[in-house]
Amino acid sequence: MTAKEEKTISAIEEQELFTFAEFDEEASERTGYSNYSYWGSTIRVFLKNKSAVTCLIIMISLLAFTFIQPYLPNQKNPITVHLDPNTGRQLMNHPPSKEYWFGTNSIGQDLWARIWSGTRTSLLIAIIVGVWEVAFGIAFGALWGYVRQLDALITEIYNVIHNIPTTIIMMLLAYIMRPSFKTMILVMCATGWLGMARFVRNQIIIIRDREYNLASRCLGTPTSRIIMKNLLPYLVSVIVMRIALSIPGTIGWEVFLTYIGLGLPIDTPSLGNLVNEGRRLIMSPSLRYQLIFPSAVLSLITVSFYIMGNAFSDAADPRNHW
Amino acid sequence: MIADTREVLVEVKNLRVEFKGKGKKPFVAVKNVTFDIYKGETFGLVGETGSGKTTIGRAIIRINPVAEGEIRFKGQRISGIIPKELDREVTRKIQMIFQDPMASLNERAKVDYIVSEGLYNTRNYKDEKDRQAKVEKALLEVGLLPEFASRFPHEFSGGQRQRIGIARALIMEPEFIICDEPISSLDVSIRAQVLNLMSSLQKEKSLTYMFISHDLSVVRFIADRIAVIHKGEIVELAETEELFRNPLHPYTRALLSAIPVPDPRVEREKKVLVYDPRVHDYSVHKPKWTEIRPGHFILGNEAELSQYEKLLAS
Amino acid sequence: MSEPILSARDVVVKFSLRGQILTAIRGASLDLYEGKTLAIVGESGSGKSVFTKTFLGMLDANGWVDSGSIMFEGMDLAKLKTEREWLKIRGKKIAMIFQDPMTALNPLRTVGMQIQEVLELHQGLKGEEAKARTIEILGQVGISDPAMRYHQYPHEFSGGMRQRVVIAIAVACNPRILICDEPTTALDVTIQAQILELIRGLQKKLGLTIIYITHDLGVVANVADDVAVMYAGDIIEYGTAEEIFYNAQHPYTWALLSSLPQLGIKGQPLYSIRGTPPNLFNEIKGDAFAPRNPRALKIDFVKRPPYFQVSPTHYARTWLLDPRAPKVEPPATIKAMRAKYARDAI
Repeated sequence: MTAKEEKTISAIEEQELFTFAEFDEEASERTGYSNYSYWGSTIRVFLKNKSAVTCLIIMISLLAFTFIQPYLPNQKNPITVHLDPNTGRQLMNHPPSKEYWFGTNSIGQDLWARIWSGTRTSLLIAIIVGVWEVAFGIAFGALWGYVRQLDALITEIYNVIHNIPTTIIMMLLAYIMRPSFKTMILVMCATGWLGMARFVRNQIIIIRDREYNLASRCLGTPTSRIIMKNLLPYLVSVIVMRIALSIPGTIGWEVFLTYIGLGLPIDTPSLGNLVNEGRRLIMSPSLRYQLIFPSAVLSLITVSFYIMGNAFSDAADPRNHW
Repeated sequence: MIADTREVLVEVKNLRVEFKGKGKKPFVAVKNVTFDIYKGETFGLVGETGSGKTTIGRAIIRINPVAEGEIRFKGQRISGIIPKELDREVTRKIQMIFQDPMASLNERAKVDYIVSEGLYNTRNYKDEKDRQAKVEKALLEVGLLPEFASRFPHEFSGGQRQRIGIARALIMEPEFIICDEPISSLDVSIRAQVLNLMSSLQKEKSLTYMFISHDLSVVRFIADRIAVIHKGEIVELAETEELFRNPLHPYTRALLSAIPVPDPRVEREKKVLVYDPRVHDYSVHKPKWTEIRPGHFILGNEAELSQYEKLLAS
Repeated sequence: MSEPILSARDVVVKFSLRGQILTAIRGASLDLYEGKTLAIVGESGSGKSVFTKTFLGMLDANGWVDSGSIMFEGMDLAKLKTEREWLKIRGKKIAMIFQDPMTALNPLRTVGMQIQEVLELHQGLKGEEAKARTIEILGQVGISDPAMRYHQYPHEFSGGMRQRVVIAIAVACNPRILICDEPTTALDVTIQAQILELIRGLQKKLGLTIIYITHDLGVVANVADDVAVMYAGDIIEYGTAEEIFYNAQHPYTWALLSSLPQLGIKGQPLYSIRGTPPNLFNEIKGDAFAPRNPRALKIDFVKRPPYFQVSPTHYARTWLLDPRAPKVEPPATIKAMRAKYARDAI
């Protein structure tokens, strides 16, 4: 207490101070608050993570750029085979130059344009598959985890399907339907949702019997609303993380399928077939650029999504909210 | 003297509840429990962890399935498979208050939704305005401010959250509320608030409570009759003061001696009794659930019953 | 009065939480006398656990002792910074046991190994000698068939038995002070009674000084010689157990005692305190309990009360004890307590 405050106290009648104060019951109720917001804190902690924010910016710029790139001046068509104006022959394996920023490939197509077109294709596939995984995988997993009667049956079916290697299923499907953009999506969707469903089911089993869910059952809440309002909101953070990790995963599968010859046709550039083409030339040092550029983009995407996914999952943990 | 003249609200007959155990044998949580709950009373169920008290409560409200025996509400059987109409009626008339205020509310939903959840299910309101009015009334009845409806549970303290849970149960206009350790997780000074609230609500709305707890001193204060449960069986049941005056079963006596009393001199003098299950010899004569005095039931075989008679006589 | 073995003066502890500073302890003082049991009573948020953690340097990473002193064996514990310095105290001179035994026990190692490890580390015992002593200690804490139990893992023990093991680890090195942070709150009443008896027995045998943290006044009545009542990071009343129970002076202590169901009259509402404890992020002016106190004086909102002496061993921080304050009737329960024991004048 400062000297001034001391004087103020003694200035007020001592009598006055030692009388009863008014008791405001409502004021005492209000002392119980805190205005902590879960999502607010999650976003704040996420934004504090510099590497995650950097990755986020990079990914958004990358995606935006793949759409903007064709409209920039002086861009070339990714499929056009370019001819040397002097000789009239194809400009094969031309190293990076002022004209062709990333060089040309073995047929004479502009690698710069192909990389951006390829990235766009691959990312689109990955995002579409990701959305499907979320929608169907979560719905399926939620029912599987919550409805006890279904659990035994579906677990058996899952075990059977799960034991067949994913690669064989993918190869079979890709072989039956001829390689195309649509086929890729269908193939990935057919196998991708299973992992998400299993994951969601496990999470739901963990929270299914918590008291607030029992309370909802006692109140007669139907299963669909319990899943939508009680269970899923808790799982949003883990689900977001899984989507973040599934995107590089899908691209990885696409690369693999291309490697074994069941990927997208050569006239639809994708990171998969770009990496594949470049792989063939790995032995000659002067032509390695054809592998390095697509690999660099692929690595950048993979690493960024992993970092973002992990950062978000850490941020969503309430224990990190300070 | 109670018993015969009062209306019976809930009857539990030879209840047996099992859970899936390790391997083939099921784990029997509740062995063979029989008791009645009268309209307007507070029935206390006291036991330690693993005694099966929570399981009984959950069996009555139909969360746990019943293996044997039956449960009746106002004369109608409500255990096992029942018609949809009856199920809806039971959902409205029997409600539950849970133990942990931190776990019993949906963190991601507003208080408005939490309290109205039951109303949405039974469509027990005319329109949006009516529903909001009911929510406001429920919150005021438990001593909370109506403006709390737009907030989230994490913004409140434990005692306030428990009151939200009570509002959620009350808005259904129930007749019977099962209170599963409603104050055990609350701070000492908040417990009194919630207990007072529950008592006044009972008087106002003619509610019947089943109060489950491990804390005999709290149950003594609030319950009219107390049943003591040990490892899935009720060992003694009597009017509250009668139980404290004449505890007969060795488990009841051990439990009573162990309660800490907030009085240093009494505590210093106290002798704690230890309950040893081996003191019962049920190999030849099986124990029976007997009414040894009007309203005072006990589990024992013939030899023990004659011992208890002697105790009561002295 | 002998010298206290531990003396805390005006300890202030702050935490950095969600971007703000929270003052968890606002200038608490206490004296601990050898061979006695001090009970610290308070509700959640009162700071009782935080306060005792400062004696062991076990505050969370985002907390620190802002000011004040904690004198123990000539050292000021509030000034210790490095882990090295704390290692000389923790476990050896001052030991602590917690509410959940599984936080102290390693599920992957046998119980015997965990106790033995402590003996080897702090007392230099080796091999057979250490094992024998471990089995002896297991017996001392009431574990039957200790030689066989020595080889078992924590999950093979029940809750009460685990707590006994934790107590065994804590007293293995004969510390001077044992801090018990709500060790029986999660246990059944019958097990609790046994553990309390065990702790009391060990205290007599080993000459331990015990700090017992709890919110349960029944337990306090059972174990305590002296009692300190904490509210919102401050010790608002302290005295011997009898003084606190039979002659409480602070309105918060009155409220705590009156709201106990054991002391309630059936059919009548229990005395209850409205509202909730204050938010410690905000600066608290005056008496922290004032907003919830129907008997608050105007000065309670303005200036923090100092300690007023009720007896050489009994102090309370309330303006009601100031000679200028009006006479206030305590609640019925408190009056009954006082009357009951008035003849044995304190």
